Amino acid sequence: MLRDALRRALQVRALEFRARHFADPADRLHFLRGKVARISDGAGGRREATQFRQACLRHIRRGCVTAVTLLVAFENTETTLVVPRKPKAKQPTGQIRLVQTTPQFDLYSNGLRVEEQYATSTAPRRYLIFPAHHAGPIGLGAQWRSEPAGIVYHTTESHMAPFEESENRSLRRAGEGLLAYVSRRRSYHFIIDRFGRVFRIVRESDYANHSGNSVWADRYWVYINLNQSFLGIAFEAHSRPSSAEPSVNAAQIYAGRILTDMLRSFYGIPASNCVAHAQVSVNPSNYGVGYHMDWAAHLPFSQLGLPNNYTLALPSVTLFGFAADPAQIEINAGGAPQGMSQGWEASVAEVRREAAARDIPLEDYRKQLQKRYRDAIQALRGNGAYQEYN
Amino acid sequence: MNASITQPPTALGLDVGTSRIVAAQRHDKDIQFDTQLNAFVTIPFSKLTQGVLKKERIPHLVQDSEITVYGDESERFANLFHRETRRPMLRGILNPEETGSLTLVRQIVGLVMGEGEGQGRRVCFTVPAPPIGTTPEEMNQHEGGLKSMLSKMGYDPHPIPEGLAVVYGEMEHSNYTGIGISCGGGLCNVCLAYLSVPVFSFSIPKAGDFIDAGVAQLRGEPATRIRTIKEESFHFNGHFVNKIHQALSQYYEDMIQALVAALKDEFASVQSMPKLNRPIPLVLSGGSVMPPGFRERFEKSLREVELPVAISEVRLASNPMVSTARGALVAALSEV
Repeated sequence: MLRDALRRALQVRALEFRARHFADPADRLHFLRGKVARISDGAGGRREATQFRQACLRHIRRGCVTAVTLLVAFENTETTLVVPRKPKAKQPTGQIRLVQTTPQFDLYSNGLRVEEQYATSTAPRRYLIFPAHHAGPIGLGAQWRSEPAGIVYHTTESHMAPFEESENRSLRRAGEGLLAYVSRRRSYHFIIDRFGRVFRIVRESDYANHSGNSVWADRYWVYINLNQSFLGIAFEAHSRPSSAEPSVNAAQIYAGRILTDMLRSFYGIPASNCVAHAQVSVNPSNYGVGYHMDWAAHLPFSQLGLPNNYTLALPSVTLFGFAADPAQIEINAGGAPQGMSQGWEASVAEVRREAAARDIPLEDYRKQLQKRYRDAIQALRGNGAYQEYN
Repeated sequence: MNASITQPPTALGLDVGTSRIVAAQRHDKDIQFDTQLNAFVTIPFSKLTQGVLKKERIPHLVQDSEITVYGDESERFANLFHRETRRPMLRGILNPEETGSLTLVRQIVGLVMGEGEGQGRRVCFTVPAPPIGTTPEEMNQHEGGLKSMLSKMGYDPHPIPEGLAVVYGEMEHSNYTGIGISCGGGLCNVCLAYLSVPVFSFSIPKAGDFIDAGVAQLRGEPATRIRTIKEESFHFNGHFVNKIHQALSQYYEDMIQALVAALKDEFASVQSMPKLNRPIPLVLSGGSVMPPGFRERFEKSLREVELPVAISEVRLASNPMVSTARGALVAALSEV
């Protein structure tokens, strides 16, 4: 009796947790209506558990047969057939929750207030991801996802009035103009204006046009063209790589921190997937990295509660053979030791090591990697998942 | 460049209230509401009047020696001809005293949903929970009449209790757990839902019309004038500028007390109450909750009685006039 009650309570908790992942109210209702009846029917629950066990066994049997077949097919390749499961991301300190929602703003328990005046929508996010370490055809093991996997930080590169009291009117006017513009273009998910206010532009359940041609990867998965898979946060600022003066003020950094905390808490986003636009942007026409160079340096990772992700190797280089003029990287990163030149150098070294390990010239190895990129794009196109709008 | 994908509206929500009919449909991600007064006025037929109405595109029907103007325009014509507007519905259901009430509802629904746009689209329409003193036959007749009307218009109709629609429209963040109350013209509808499943629904026949009629009788004024005063200047602040406001306050108090008492009784009589592991929200919607101070007054009365569940908050719906239609739309979309 007690066991049944406990089981049911746990089921309800799990159900409520899962329901919160549906951003669309109709989808959430559909999910709940479908599941609640089964939970309230205890016998149904046991029947479901039995069916689930049987289904698992069926899948394991089918999986074994498929694995053997594919092993034979790819016996001369290094294909890894075990599709990695995405690990559960660690939550930031404490669970952040939505405290109040009104037509004007949303208030979260960490003090974040998100203004809703410019909020708009596009279409629900849906994207394909590819296994990161998979020597066989890249399309093998691709999976569909609909939850945000990371965050890309941008600068708006918009008109900047001097941040002085005498310019308050111009500052407000420029900010409002910018917000209306990005809302029309569905350019980002969030904007942090120069007063540190956070505006929702495109709802998190939808894609936004912030990182068209782009590549990133974590330990397990490769993400291509991040409009669908990553959330875009733009600071109302100019990138100033060569200047020692920070591009953003303390209010913006604080807002960026609590916004990042909220998004990581809500969507379980790993810290390594929170990166600068310059780190992910690519130009497929010349296989160059850094087509856009905002936040090539000086993104205050530590103040945003993140590790220094500038040290991470660039997946566009290591996985897909993209390259860049090192001098250009140096210029855009402003020669700053904390800029993306660190990751760039690590990436180049890794590609050299891999080419040497395979005993093939560096350029040939890069061409092989570039072919994998083209195959990935082909897979995206074939599945109707290709999107390149920046 | 990827333009945003525009989805055709596949489903609709329809709130068929005693005083207003509201349709909700989703265009892309935005919800569009269309609303019309569920009222009509009859004026003597003349070719000249008919010509003017046609020219001005004012919705009307010609029947024998009368012209019936319906929807929002009925109020204007009632003032023009010094008449009272009439209602095709009474206390939440089709008015048995008005012949042709379904025809008029059909015309008004056509105004908010568009003519010839059924095309098999799913529509969830609100129906009241049975109020005290109403026979099940009357309720079935009302629901059946609306269902048949919408089917003939080409829709795929499904009824939804009005209180539950409030829960679906306003309680997404509590996973559709809480108490939804819709205080409309004819009835106050109440629903307790747990994880989207209704636990109980009921209605009381004390709502906006009850207040208007009571005050009108007490003060010897037309009910339309009382309604105008109620909507334009009444508020609960303890200081009433005139005797009409004072009377409105008394009748509102009566309605609130009846609602809270009925809620308490319903909790006491419910057979299988789910174990709620946390306090639940209560949302107020409908035109009768609009006077400033209503929420506070209701909450004060609610806190004075002991309910078997803890209430986390008492709040007004984000847009009390359309939240029921919004909930009906969410219900319709969830099944598409």
